[in-house]
Formats: sequence, C-alpha cells, structure tokens
Amino acid sequence: MTRTKNGLRLAAAVVGISALALTGCTSAAEDSNSGGSGDSSAPITLGTTDKVTSLDPAGSYDNGSFMVMNQIFPFLLNSEPGSPEPSMSLAESAEFTAPTEYTVKLKSGLKWANGHDLDSKDVKFTFDRQLKIADPNGPSSLLGNVDSIEAPDATTVVFKLKVANDQTFPQVLTSPVGPIVDDEVFPADKLLDDQKIVEGKAFGGQYVIDSYNKNNLISFSANDAYAGVLGKPANSKAAIKYYADANNLKLEVQEGKIDVAWRSLTPTDIEDLGQDENLTVHKGPGGELRYIVFNFDTMPFGAKTADADEAKSLAVRQAAAHLVDREAIAKNVYKDTYTPAYSFVPQGFTGAAEPLKDLYGTDGKPDAAKAKKVLEDAGVKTPVKLALQYNPDHYGPNSGDEYALVEKQLEADGLFDVDLKSTEWVTYQKQRVTDYPAYQLGWFPDYSDADNYLSPFFAKDNFLSNNYDNPEVDKLIADQRGMTDAGERTAAIEKLQTMVAEDLSTLPLLQGAQVAVSGKDVKDVDKTLDASFKFRLGVLSK
Amino acid sequence: MTITSPPGQETSPIAAPRAKNQGGGFLRYLITRFLLIIPTVFILITVVFFLMRVTGDPITAAMGGRLTPDQLAARIHEAGYDRPLLIQYFEYLGQVFTGDLGRTLSDNRAVTEVLSTYGAATLELAINAVIVALLVGIPLGLVAAKFRDRYPDAILRILAILGYATPVFFAGLVLKLIFGVWLGWLPISGRADWQTELELTGLQNPSGIYWLDALRSGNMPAFWNVTEHALLPALALGLLTGGVFLRLVRTNAIGTLGREYVEAGRSRGVSEFRLTTKHAYRPALIPIITVMGLQIAMLLGGAVLTETTFEWSGLGFKLAEYLTARDFVAVQGIVVLLAIIVAVTNFIVDVLAALIDPRVRY
Repeated sequence: MTRTKNGLRLAAAVVGISALALTGCTSAAEDSNSGGSGDSSAPITLGTTDKVTSLDPAGSYDNGSFMVMNQIFPFLLNSEPGSPEPSMSLAESAEFTAPTEYTVKLKSGLKWANGHDLDSKDVKFTFDRQLKIADPNGPSSLLGNVDSIEAPDATTVVFKLKVANDQTFPQVLTSPVGPIVDDEVFPADKLLDDQKIVEGKAFGGQYVIDSYNKNNLISFSANDAYAGVLGKPANSKAAIKYYADANNLKLEVQEGKIDVAWRSLTPTDIEDLGQDENLTVHKGPGGELRYIVFNFDTMPFGAKTADADEAKSLAVRQAAAHLVDREAIAKNVYKDTYTPAYSFVPQGFTGAAEPLKDLYGTDGKPDAAKAKKVLEDAGVKTPVKLALQYNPDHYGPNSGDEYALVEKQLEADGLFDVDLKSTEWVTYQKQRVTDYPAYQLGWFPDYSDADNYLSPFFAKDNFLSNNYDNPEVDKLIADQRGMTDAGERTAAIEKLQTMVAEDLSTLPLLQGAQVAVSGKDVKDVDKTLDASFKFRLGVLSK
Repeated sequence: MTITSPPGQETSPIAAPRAKNQGGGFLRYLITRFLLIIPTVFILITVVFFLMRVTGDPITAAMGGRLTPDQLAARIHEAGYDRPLLIQYFEYLGQVFTGDLGRTLSDNRAVTEVLSTYGAATLELAINAVIVALLVGIPLGLVAAKFRDRYPDAILRILAILGYATPVFFAGLVLKLIFGVWLGWLPISGRADWQTELELTGLQNPSGIYWLDALRSGNMPAFWNVTEHALLPALALGLLTGGVFLRLVRTNAIGTLGREYVEAGRSRGVSEFRLTTKHAYRPALIPIITVMGLQIAMLLGGAVLTETTFEWSGLGFKLAEYLTARDFVAVQGIVVLLAIIVAVTNFIVDVLAALIDPRVRY
C-alpha cells in the first residue's frame, strides 16, 4: 500500500515536472519578442527554398544565387519594376557605335559600398574575369558573342562583339553574367568565397549584406552609395530566410513569421493559402516553360528506326499536339499556377504568338477527330506505341501527375499506346540524348528575350540534341538577332514560332506563373512580378 | 558474485578498482583501441568515395538541363570527373592526409568552414536529445521498475518500444503536426526566429550553440525563443534513445531493488520512494555510460533525419542537401567528421568501460 502510494507520487512528480517544463517554455515563449511589429520601419522578410550556390557572379548560374545578386550588385543595364526591357542603370548611355561595337558610358562619381571607386576598370575586369574563370557552374557561356572589352577612359566601356548588331546583347548585360564586381576585392583568376565578399563590402546594388549565414539567413540594409535605376529601397532593411521544405515555408508565411513566400510553394499550398484571409496570393508572368521533346532519330518512324518515315513521324507529333489538353493539366495538376502554353515563346515576351492554338486542336482544346485524321492520312497504324520519359526529381514533385495525365490524354481515344517511365536526373541527362524517343524538359530563361526560347532549342546543334535540323529556321534565328528594326525583328520572331510549330520539334505544354504569397500588410509585391523575372526586395514595404 | 554494502555505501556490482599489476595490459588495450579508429575511418572514406561516384557527377546534376552533351562532357572533363576513379581516389586521400578537405562543389565553401559552421548546431541538437533521453529514460525507467509487471510498467515498456522503433522522421512529423500545426504551441522549423538568429550570430565569438550564446549574453528572450525551437527536434531525437535508456534503467533498477542492502533498508523502514530514488538509481545508471557510446552513432544517424524534418541547420541537414547535389567533396568531408566522432566516442566508452568493469579483458 505504501509502495503504491509512493510509486504514484513518483509518477505524478515526473509528469508534473514535464508539464511544468513545457508550460514554462510556452509561457516564456509568449513573452519573448518575436519581432514583426508591423510598423513601417520593420524590415521585410522573404522566405524561399531557392538556394545560393555562390555570391560570386562568376561562380553561379541559378535562380537562388541570382536573386541575391540582384539586391547587392550593380548592373550596367537593368530592368525597372514592371518592365522586362533593359534601362540605363550604372550606364548613362549604351548603344551600338559600330555593328560589332557596343559602347557603354558610365555615370561619373560612382562608388562601391566600401568606398572604392566604381568605374570602367571594374566593368572591364568583371567581364574579362568571367571569360577567364569560365567556371563550370558559372554563366560565362552567355558572353559567347564577346570578343574583347576595352576601357579607353574611366567612364567608357567598349564591348567588341563577334556577331554584328546582336540585339540580345543589352539583355545579356541584365542577365546572371551582368553583375559588376569590385576589382579591388575580387581576384581576377579565381572565385571569391562568399564570406570574403561580405567582409570586403563589395556591394554596389540597392542593398549591402549586414549578416550572412549561407542558405539559412541573410540580412540586408539599404546601400546609400547605390546610383542605379532602382533608386532607394522602399524599406531600409530586409532579410531572406531559407527553407529546405516548402511545407515549412508555407506554415511560416501563414503564421506571419515571414512577410513574403516566394519560390517554391506547391500548387496545393498556393491554393490553400489563397483561402487565408490574412494573406494575398500574387501572380505575375512566368518565364518557365514545360514541354515534351521529340527525338527525330528514335521517335516512332524516326530517321534511325527500322520503319523510318518523315511524314509518318510528323503525323505522330501532330497527333500528339491535337490530343494534349493543356488546360486540364494546368487546372488539375497545377491548380492554375501554370497556364497553357500554345507557343515556344511564353506570353509576355515581345513577339510571342500562339501558333499551336491555330494549328492543333480546336480553340486550344484537344480534338481527337483531327488527331485520328492526321494519322490516317499519313497511313499510320493505331495505336501508335510511344515511349515517353519524365523526370520525377528535377522539375518539381508534380511531374508524375502531369505526365500520367498526358499519358491518359494521348491514350483516351485509342490512338496512342504510351509506355511512360521515369528516371532520376543524372541518369536522365545522360540517356535523354540517346535513349528517349520523347521526354520531358523544362526551361527558365537566361534573360528576357524571345531569342532565349528559340536559339537554344531550334538552331542547329542546339542543347536538346534531338536531331532537329531546319536550315530555314536556323537562318532566320541567326538573322533576327541582328535585326536593328524592332518591328522587323518582332515579325521574324512570330514567323519563327509558326515555322517551328509546323515542325513540332518540341511540344510546349505549360507556362509557369511567378507566385508570391504575402501578408496583407505588405505593399507592392505585384510591382516586381514582371517579365524580367527579377525579384526586387527594394520595392516592398509595410 | 554479488558485492553487498551497507545502505548509503553501495558499490556497483560491476564497478571495481583496476588492479595495479594490470597497468601494462591496460595501456596496450588503450593503444589497440585507439589504433582501430584509423582503419574504421579509412574504410568509411573509401566506401563513401566510391558510392558517391555511382550516383553521378555534380556538373550533370546542376547543368544537365541546359547544355549539349558535348558541352556537358567538356565541363566534366575540365572538372576532372572523367579521370580514372583510382587516380581521383588517391588524390583525395592525399588531400585528406594533409588536412585539406577541399571546397564544396555545389556552393563553393571550404569544407572545414562547413564543418565548423554547422557542427555546433548538430552538437546542440545531440546535447538536447541526450538531455531529453535522460529526463525520459531515467525517471520512467525507475517508475517501470517500481511497478514491475503491473499496468504502469506494461504501458511504459510499450512506450519505450514505440520510442526506439518509430522512425525519427515520422516521430518528428507527428510532433510537428500536433504541437506546431494543430495546437500552435511550438515552432516547427529552424533553430530560432530570424530576429533572434541575427542577434545570436552577431555576438562576439559566438559558440554556435544558441542557448549557450543566449545565456552568455544574458539575452533571456532569445534563450526562451531558442528553447521553444529546440523542444520538438530534441523530443523527436531524444525519444529514440530515451526508449533504450528506459528499458535499461528498468532492468538494472529491478536487479538493484532486489538486492540485500535494499531489502535491509526496507526492513529498517526507509521509504520506498527514497529507496528507489536514492539507492536503486545510481547502480542502474552505470550501464547507461556504455550504452551512450553505442547510441552516439544512432543519434548522429537520427540527427540527419531530424535536422531535415525541422530545418535544423546542422551537419545532417547539410549532408542531405549535399547528397541531393551529388557534392562528393562535401559529403565525404561531413562523413569523415561523423566517422571520427563515432569512432572516438566509442574509444572513450571502451576506455570508461574498461576502467569501471573488471570483466572487460585487456
């Protein structure tokens, strides 16, 4: 009896202590200063799952790194919020002074945050350095048209180009290869460690970094020395908090622990957050394109198959284009965070058209009768056996659902018999060129120009390596880059899209939207969701 | 043979002073155990090196979707990943032996910097988890022993089995769901609110162990903030080891409670509570020291999953990130460190066990 009593007392003591400990922590937490007071001087906090590879512009070529670079480094040309077009930033003027000479005049009296002079020597150093280091993870390939750079005086930089009148070059200067670096801090022939960049205060953008905990937390304050097109930030301080798991990002924006969640919430999370009365879901044009690639050698009736037949091969591609229901994929799989893509150039870009809407299906909807007819006319026996490959780990967790739906759509009327398979990314990249007759890919632009959706895909020896070769297309792609008349170039881009839509080297499915979720008290998020795809912390305020 | 002592002067049944004439043997035992660390770490380095290469190269992982096969091959060649594996292996070994763990491939950081930056967070989590394990395991083990073969004992034994049988990430998710999402009592990710992190990382010479830094700077709001962030991860990981401790303490306490000196205490009217908490628990704790060493590997393995579940930016969290990026250099560096920690901990435990247990032959 005594034993039982004492035992119970002991058990009660243990439970009591545990409860007290928990209660103590909880009540203490309530007392703690959790920040986010909501007044106008409060910093803006953005949460993201995009990681930083390197703050050195020569050492990274990814969204996460570029997003931070956009806050801390200056550009010769940059796009103003709301516009994808390049404007003068560090530059006072920038123009072709000869067919292969692009001359930039810098503003005078420019300074880095550390007090160093920012002049043409820094600019020449920046681009020479990119070409010299040519880091495997870096963006130096974007300078493929640069032959040499000269700095005749402190405010003049002359880019000597290999190809005349390259109309994409101003856009290149706004791209991941464009951030200018301090020649007194950065080494000329190797990458600089992030921490050294921070210690050297080598900042010339809207912000300087106050504290840097890589891929965990970065805090910024306004850079008084900044003299670029973006002007003074609407907030004096900002921070970026990094998450590995989109669920945590979602929960923290819901709880008000961060002000803005940007890249990459799942479609389901975005739909869910849209129901929250304390939050606003902002959508802007997106440059991401999701598409199917056809290998012209190995697809049904491809050039290297036993029953090679160009007409039948085209009919198979056209039938697939008649059958895919993009709206259904966008709605059912992506909850309208993607929109149907009826072209190879996403909507929002100068020259974007929608030739696939006119050529295939009916008003953007699938049309099985047309698909059947095109196959019959070409003498293709149905169902067509099509091996279709997708990747489950690189293009987001919904790829499986997306391609299961594509399979269902293609097979719905008995015209196709799809063999759907998936492979992890590294193997996928090795095998896609040789083994996959049709496969999934995605694309995010290097800069906001339609050419970036045409040259890499349809010019001869493009990165797809899908054995597509149309000399007419190849020539027009090269020509449009050098067309100085904007109207003429736009017409050429439109024509190119139609030509490629007839060949169907790739089959675009969806165009991504930029999505940000913010608290109701955060202003001007929409301003930065433009077709430049640059998220600018400086426009946000509370 | 059982050693009995008067109450209050009990001696552990397994503890005994080491005989003086065995000094030479003990030293030989020490050296042998210490030298065993080298092949252990070496084998692990080798296995990880070759396993990582099987999963593909980091260049393809990062750039595969944007380059032609020729461009990709050129970049792989530039980086030297197409050279014979054995050459790469011996180069890496040479680096390691000179203390150079290299720079990470995916985010261009010195591996040593990664280890020092994130090691403190993992250490903090491990300490928190051990505290939870001890707070759960010891008292509940004693309660279970006290109520041997009755309902409380049965319930506690089931809980113990659940504790160490439940995958740590699942336990973490359940805790997040209950305390974070449904009840909203505790934060579900990170080591502190970002404002607190800024305060603590901005201190002069921070240790990286947040609660220690908060206490050192006398910042109590930060201390509480860190504590509430630490609770769920510590519980998820601590319950894993806590279950083991509970059963261990229970078994040993049952043995101790049946000893003659405890019976003698009972007959003299010493209360059951005092007998359990004062006389039975000390001897019951000794095996925990030995088991602790064995649990370190489990704790570190569990830390990878716990840190990932709770976005706890420690070595485990980074390891998962680097694995996804096929960052050979980073993964090898982290694994080498973890291997050394496990090997050294086991060495220390072996030494302690040899010191306190004469049945260990050396």
